[in-house]
Amino acid sequence: MTATAAAATNPLREGLHLPRTPDACAVVVFGATGDLTARKLMPALYNLARGRTMPGGFSIVGFARRDWTDEQFRAAMKKALTEFSREPLEEELWDSFARRLHYVSSNFDDVEGYRRLGDRLDKQDEAHGAAGNRLFYLATPPTAYADIAQRLGEAGLSRGGDNGGWARLVVEKPFGRDLASARELDHRLGLVFRERQIFRIDHYLGKETVQNIMVFRFGNGIFEPIWNRRYVDNVQVSVGETVGVEGRGAYYEEAGALRDMVQNHLLQVLALVAMEPIASFGGDAVRSEKAKVFHAIKPIEDIDRDTVRAQYGPGAILGQNVPGYREEAGVAPGSTTETYAALRLEIENWRWSGVPFYLRVGKRLPKRATEVAITFKTAPLQLFRQIGSDNTTPNLLVLRIQPDEGISLRFGAKVPGTRSDVRPVNMDFRYGTSFGVDAPEAYERLLLDAMLGDATLFTRWDGVEAAWELLGPVLAAWQQGASPLQTYDAGSWGPERAIELTERDGREWHRM
Amino acid sequence: MASDVTGIERLTDGRVPVEPGAIEDEFARIWQDTSGSDESSIRLRVLNFVGVGLTPAALDRYERVMEALPERHPCRGIMAMTSPGETAVTAAISAHCWRSGSGSRHVCSEEVLLVAPPGQERALASAVLALLVPELPVAMWLVGDAGLDHPIVAELIGAAERAFIDSAGAADPRAVMRSVLRAQQAHDVQICDLAWCRLGSWRGLVAQFFDGADGARELARLRSIDIVCGGQRPGSEALLMAGWLVSRLGLSLADVSVTAGGIAATLYDGTRGVSLSVSASGEEGLPLSQVRLRTEGASFLVELHEASGHMHVREEWPDAPVRRTVAQQPCDDASVFTEALDDPDDPKIFLASLRSALRLLGDEGVTGSPGSRS
Repeated sequence: MTATAAAATNPLREGLHLPRTPDACAVVVFGATGDLTARKLMPALYNLARGRTMPGGFSIVGFARRDWTDEQFRAAMKKALTEFSREPLEEELWDSFARRLHYVSSNFDDVEGYRRLGDRLDKQDEAHGAAGNRLFYLATPPTAYADIAQRLGEAGLSRGGDNGGWARLVVEKPFGRDLASARELDHRLGLVFRERQIFRIDHYLGKETVQNIMVFRFGNGIFEPIWNRRYVDNVQVSVGETVGVEGRGAYYEEAGALRDMVQNHLLQVLALVAMEPIASFGGDAVRSEKAKVFHAIKPIEDIDRDTVRAQYGPGAILGQNVPGYREEAGVAPGSTTETYAALRLEIENWRWSGVPFYLRVGKRLPKRATEVAITFKTAPLQLFRQIGSDNTTPNLLVLRIQPDEGISLRFGAKVPGTRSDVRPVNMDFRYGTSFGVDAPEAYERLLLDAMLGDATLFTRWDGVEAAWELLGPVLAAWQQGASPLQTYDAGSWGPERAIELTERDGREWHRM
Repeated sequence: MASDVTGIERLTDGRVPVEPGAIEDEFARIWQDTSGSDESSIRLRVLNFVGVGLTPAALDRYERVMEALPERHPCRGIMAMTSPGETAVTAAISAHCWRSGSGSRHVCSEEVLLVAPPGQERALASAVLALLVPELPVAMWLVGDAGLDHPIVAELIGAAERAFIDSAGAADPRAVMRSVLRAQQAHDVQICDLAWCRLGSWRGLVAQFFDGADGARELARLRSIDIVCGGQRPGSEALLMAGWLVSRLGLSLADVSVTAGGIAATLYDGTRGVSLSVSASGEEGLPLSQVRLRTEGASFLVELHEASGHMHVREEWPDAPVRRTVAQQPCDDASVFTEALDDPDDPKIFLASLRSALRLLGDEGVTGSPGSRS
């Protein structure tokens, strides 16, 4: 419900800037003893409760295999909050929060466990007035998703409580590992939950700076008129990571950069940059426009020419020698999993036809940075070349998503002096210096939205399917040996072939 | 917002006296000197923040806000004071920066103090107007005893988009509230009361009770409102809270009794009677300590726990009491300003609440019914 609609039913809401409070509900976290719960979910829920945005009747139920009691779960979560919460843990607030924490020990495929979960939720409905509203969060390995959904259905938990409440399912990435497995997963979830109940989370979409892409484009009058093929030369979406696989070698061996980052985060960012303006935030407007972008992306026909995959070898990052990917724990010595991927895409619509979109992501690059770089076409007349200034640097707009979030615009300026020399200068906006406060974590925003039933920042099935339709053939071709795996030194900006990807078009990667 | 001033670096050695006409040149010199250093600095100005005060205490209060506010709202601060000790308008300037986490200088702001003898308000105002950064909004704060009726306000208020007063602790809240209504009618400016701004988290928590279907149903069955505050008699926060509830719920006043220690009223919405009590506990401290709403089926309480600074929120349903504790919104001046400048309040809601509060105090001169949802 929008703020206006809320005010219409609650006269005390009018004029208040606080986010609307969700209905009283129970948040059930599957995989509650895992890393995601400790690092992200529990801190997000605690900070929402601390900041007055959780409903009075909320409760949290951890569901996992480990044989814990409520007290053991609370102790583990307290430790997690002490370590990972954005705001420091305060005893009195913790005591109030901890009373809402409960735990059910069960295997994910144990029918009896779900029956106990149902009993527990019914009791909490009575104790907290939660009215049968349930948010099920799958923070488990993806292989468990379909089984958990099936068991929830069998236990009668997929349709909310007896009091007419709602039930929603939040699914973490990856949603499938190719088109077929994604469709299979969607089919199995769909047997139990309707699409409007399924919230596929992509935490990139919860980041303030990603949301700011829409504000930047549609909240300002000066950019949208030049946001098209007439003025834009190329668009680059880049994600650089300095870290390797961080002990997640076994997971990464199954994923690779294309599945882990491009299929979700990078394509979502691309869609926000390329989509048409929306008329309102109502309904599914944003997700529908994003889906149109996915469907307009031209299938990659020449995989050898338009894609690059590579794997890092030994090298040095920030003065430290680091091993190559194949030397990481959990990685096969002869692994062909890519830790770097670069693509050249084209969007075939009136706005973007002919404008290349370059995507790249890599581990063990020299710098941690996520950026969107929009290079504009040069001025039609190189006026100042006639009088000796050979600067033809195009205007460049960079949306920095992390770290040091902000926006910079490069333009030419006259060098002081008697000559008319032109030099590129940067105009910088930084969130840190203009707003001076920490933004909430992406998971806070997304969890709150899921509880409110607002799916705008979540991925819809047609978007997921379109992403796999685009990348599935690439994965299959790579499997057959197309675009052979390159290597690059850890600490470098990737393989030579990635440079060729842009140079072939007479362009170059933006320096991050 | 925490007033984290540990990273502050003053670019001037305290306030530097300067001729009023040479202020811009002196600032230009300071920033040029700064840009010559090895460290990066950004001078940002998104606001003109003008203070008006009459006493050294007012200046201290303004200075405390300026130590924290520009971190989020980089601004040019101008404090205009009258002082019997002066013979002409004098000026002093200062500049400071906040260090970022990496230690490099990052956001810098500037501040001007202008002092004039009483009677030279026009000259003082002209100096202020000349120093306003063009094209930036102007927020004016009447600090301490400088009320809306002060002569300098008449000179400056036309340049401001928003004028802040603070009715908390006022000896006569009714007089301050009336002055707000008069000023609002006379000037094209949004008058804001910091006392009202401090009610933000209270209002939010009370509103939350009634977001869901159950809460909405109970709100229609409201029976009583009890507001408790500290001090010997209800202050402006408690009165504005009462006024807000009365106006937002569309309640009309049937009967009211005002005593030294509080207000007892009977309200009516056409179908039901609602009792209202605003009482002062007599204890020092909290301007607002408790708001309780009782309905036919439940009871809803927000209470400030002074020792911890946390707010206790309680819903008492027949079969399911719900309790939780949440962090209180910081109420120091800088935090309140930061919030108010981030999220400008809806003036209609404030003014309707204020009118209702005045009606509860027996002020018959207020137009409109107390419960009109304007």
